[in-house]
Amino acid sequence: MSGLGHRGSPRRRLLSGIGFLLPNILGFAAFTLVPLVMSFGIAFTDWDTLRHNIFRNEPLRFVGFENFLWLFHHPDFMHYLANTFFLMLGLPFAIAGSLGAALMLTRVSHRPVARRGAFILATLLLTGSGLLLRMGGMSQVGVWFIFGVLAAISLVTGVVTGGSVYRTLFYLPNFTAGVATFVLWKKLYNPSGPINAALAPVLDRIAGWVRSAPGVFSWGLPLTCGVLATALMVWQLWRLRQHWGDASAGSVAVVTGLVMLALPVGLQLYWMGLPALTAVGGPLGVVLVGAVLILKRPRRWGPVCARDAGLSAEIALALGLVPLLSLLAAGVMWGARLPSLAAVGLAPPNWLGDYDWAKPAIMIMGLWAAIGSNNMILYLAGLSSIPPELYEAADMDGASPLQRFWHITWPQLAPVTFFIGVMGVIYGLQGGFEMARVMTKGGPAGATTTLSYFIYIEGFETGRLGYASAAAWVLFALVFILSLLNFRFGNRSAND
Amino acid sequence: MKRSFLISLALLSLASALLYWTVPGKRTDIPVLYWITQDDENKRATVAAFHQWLADEHLPPVELRIDNTNGEATKKLVQGLSGVGSDIMDLYGYEADLFPATGMILDVTEDAKRLGFPPAATYPALKPDFIINGRQYGFPRNAGVALNWINRGTFAKYHVPEPPMHWTLDEFEALGKKFVAAANPPGIRERVYFVNLVPREQLRRGLGLANYNETDTRCTLDDPRNVQILERVRRWTLEDRLMPSREEGEAMSADISGDGSMFSHFTSGRFAMVYVGQWALIILRPRGTFQLRAVEPAMDGFVNTDLGGGSVGVYARTQHRKESVRFLQFLASAPFNNLIVRIADGLPPVPKYAETEEFLRPSDHPNEWGTAAAFAEAARDTGITMSKSPFVLHSIFYRVEKELTEAMISGRMTAAQTAKAMGDRLNQEIALRIDRDPALRKLYDERVRVQQLIDARRAAGKPVPAAWINDPFHLAYYRAKGWLEPEARP
Repeated sequence: MSGLGHRGSPRRRLLSGIGFLLPNILGFAAFTLVPLVMSFGIAFTDWDTLRHNIFRNEPLRFVGFENFLWLFHHPDFMHYLANTFFLMLGLPFAIAGSLGAALMLTRVSHRPVARRGAFILATLLLTGSGLLLRMGGMSQVGVWFIFGVLAAISLVTGVVTGGSVYRTLFYLPNFTAGVATFVLWKKLYNPSGPINAALAPVLDRIAGWVRSAPGVFSWGLPLTCGVLATALMVWQLWRLRQHWGDASAGSVAVVTGLVMLALPVGLQLYWMGLPALTAVGGPLGVVLVGAVLILKRPRRWGPVCARDAGLSAEIALALGLVPLLSLLAAGVMWGARLPSLAAVGLAPPNWLGDYDWAKPAIMIMGLWAAIGSNNMILYLAGLSSIPPELYEAADMDGASPLQRFWHITWPQLAPVTFFIGVMGVIYGLQGGFEMARVMTKGGPAGATTTLSYFIYIEGFETGRLGYASAAAWVLFALVFILSLLNFRFGNRSAND
Repeated sequence: MKRSFLISLALLSLASALLYWTVPGKRTDIPVLYWITQDDENKRATVAAFHQWLADEHLPPVELRIDNTNGEATKKLVQGLSGVGSDIMDLYGYEADLFPATGMILDVTEDAKRLGFPPAATYPALKPDFIINGRQYGFPRNAGVALNWINRGTFAKYHVPEPPMHWTLDEFEALGKKFVAAANPPGIRERVYFVNLVPREQLRRGLGLANYNETDTRCTLDDPRNVQILERVRRWTLEDRLMPSREEGEAMSADISGDGSMFSHFTSGRFAMVYVGQWALIILRPRGTFQLRAVEPAMDGFVNTDLGGGSVGVYARTQHRKESVRFLQFLASAPFNNLIVRIADGLPPVPKYAETEEFLRPSDHPNEWGTAAAFAEAARDTGITMSKSPFVLHSIFYRVEKELTEAMISGRMTAAQTAKAMGDRLNQEIALRIDRDPALRKLYDERVRVQQLIDARRAAGKPVPAAWINDPFHLAYYRAKGWLEPEARP
């Protein structure tokens, strides 16, 4: 190959190069470029496969933006869009999971003793969990089978192979065919399947505890969750106030930070059955009051900053804060109902069949897949490229493991995290088709129908290609806008 | 590098040419037909019988091959509209309307008259499944009526009396409660159900309500009668637990792989009854000898059953038109009908074969005696094909109805809200389709005009010409009620 570039005229070399590239270019043009351009055109027509096909050959009609307008009047479009965004709430957990896996698998610590210690700790944790489950009522055989075997494997392979087996095992979800994975999880989620078989006796024991001390749960759990949620919100308000005061956050960042606080509360209020106006209006009022209180505060230090200063930090924080606050809000909501539920016994969830559990079930499966995904490989690569001198310097300064992570590992991995975040948002918006088709057919009651599955239904089951193309371009616009925002605000923190 | 590139290119070209020459159609002198259907013992027997029939009739031979990989409706549609559909296709449910509407199924009206498989050769009630706007687009492979199969052993086990042939909704509820109470004592791990499902469309029809009005121009599911049925369904599923919810049903299916899960639960006694066609015998026979009965689904008012055959159509772009049409002719022949009788794949498409002793009392299966007669009687007397509107794809109807019912069962909507949402959503679909299709708009306007005439006549208490009514249920209902003009009566 190296000799090829030095022989013949430039024209001949150009032709040779094009000759080699041509199959790929033709493939790209035939299967990507042309369909892409066509789909854009189709989005503005009334193409319906029933009428516009090789048999009936009726003329296409230009309908302008009618497909797009109709899309927003479709009773289900917003529902499916909300489903798509809801499933994306799992993204921060997925990022944290893949980072955690990479941290476990890499030799961040240069002390072999610590690594062996980690394996022993993992073994103890697994064994301890098994004992806890046993105390909770799970059958002895089940405990032995699941945790005993896991603990033994963890200890033996960890010591013998130094972790290389784990790398392979952790990466398993990524090279297992998606459909096979979905079928496996469908079996696991079976109401009488292994997950619920393990959960049932534990929940029975918990129900017994709740029945014996209902007061602790009816007010204790909501109170604890409420206090924690309030503390988080106060901390965030205080933080925003400080950042506004020292000019490290602009007005857009402050409002974004407040909206992110109000979002989980609003959603919980809505799910509790409050009218949409109250659910949106209440938190919105709090945001407005908070914004006025913070933004009217004079800045005593620092220069005037850009309006969007600090926005990337707020968005990054929101990725963790919103799911956490949502969980706490759910604790407040469900805690009070726990005694009445326990009175008739706590049943394991009907994961894929229950409207309220179907989405979380899909998110849990996504988390499992994300832990052993390409993201983990990217983090492993990122971790290996962190200069060891930084850790040595930190060791000499007596930094704790947490400080080493927070001040060295995390900032050094910011470009990787940014990349994973961008790709995660893109895949999150586009995803869900195979899962919906294999596991739930988009049900129950449309709970797991995502935009991509909706596009498939409209295009190939309903035959409205114009409408499906419009939906696809709306999806593209969403991906494009969110990616732009990511690059506009996220890239800054990655490069800082 | 260039040499290896060229060698690779040559090898790939050679391999492609070899592949092309080994395609079955290239290796044989006789035409090869592809038939989209399931690849099972019975279909293979059908293929063999077709080959034999051609030989017996001294017709030119063809090679019929089963294509079981493209049976999904979406695949059939996309391949057909792309010009690469299989020669012959099974058409189930809404496909029988949708595919001819696209133009991809051959109009065989004239061939049917010439070769002897006209609509008159099969059950009159089946016509809406293969006759569209007066033109014939295929022929039934069998006729299927769904009834409640009863496992008599299960009822005997719990000392609960078996249901009668005809029963009301209240009787169903009372007997169902009695059964589940007896079959599910405290502490039972695997719940036993009275029935796997109830047919919502037939229940609505019992109260005189169809999916659409007489001319199929408006969805009528926002009617209070639908609310009544939905409330019953919700109560039977959640409170009385006579039948599994969607999630419970799926969980039961997940216990046993494959399509036979419903039958496994039926034979093992977890379902006392299953609502399914006579073809169930194909699956039940190899599993053992069960004492069986078949009764009508419980119903208030107008007794009706769900009739629907698997019809077969010919792809409009087939390169073997003549040979493909011969297959439809074969479906009306004695060898094929006798084969259907023997394998119990529903009712034979030609009714006279359902009157034979072999069909009614198969000598090898005395445990089934009585069931075949029930199915034949239902096909003849109470069977009505599903209501479909040319203004809404039935796939959309099915999805909307199913999703909203699921939403109600999961407690997100009341029955009244569900019924209203069904009506609103489907009428919105009608508005959208007629807005975009001028030809459909014309048909719609014409039918709306007829609908107004029907409404006026009904309001005045006058009879209506049968030709005005498009919906198969309304036609049967009007006939039963004596609301048709005398000359239109059979």
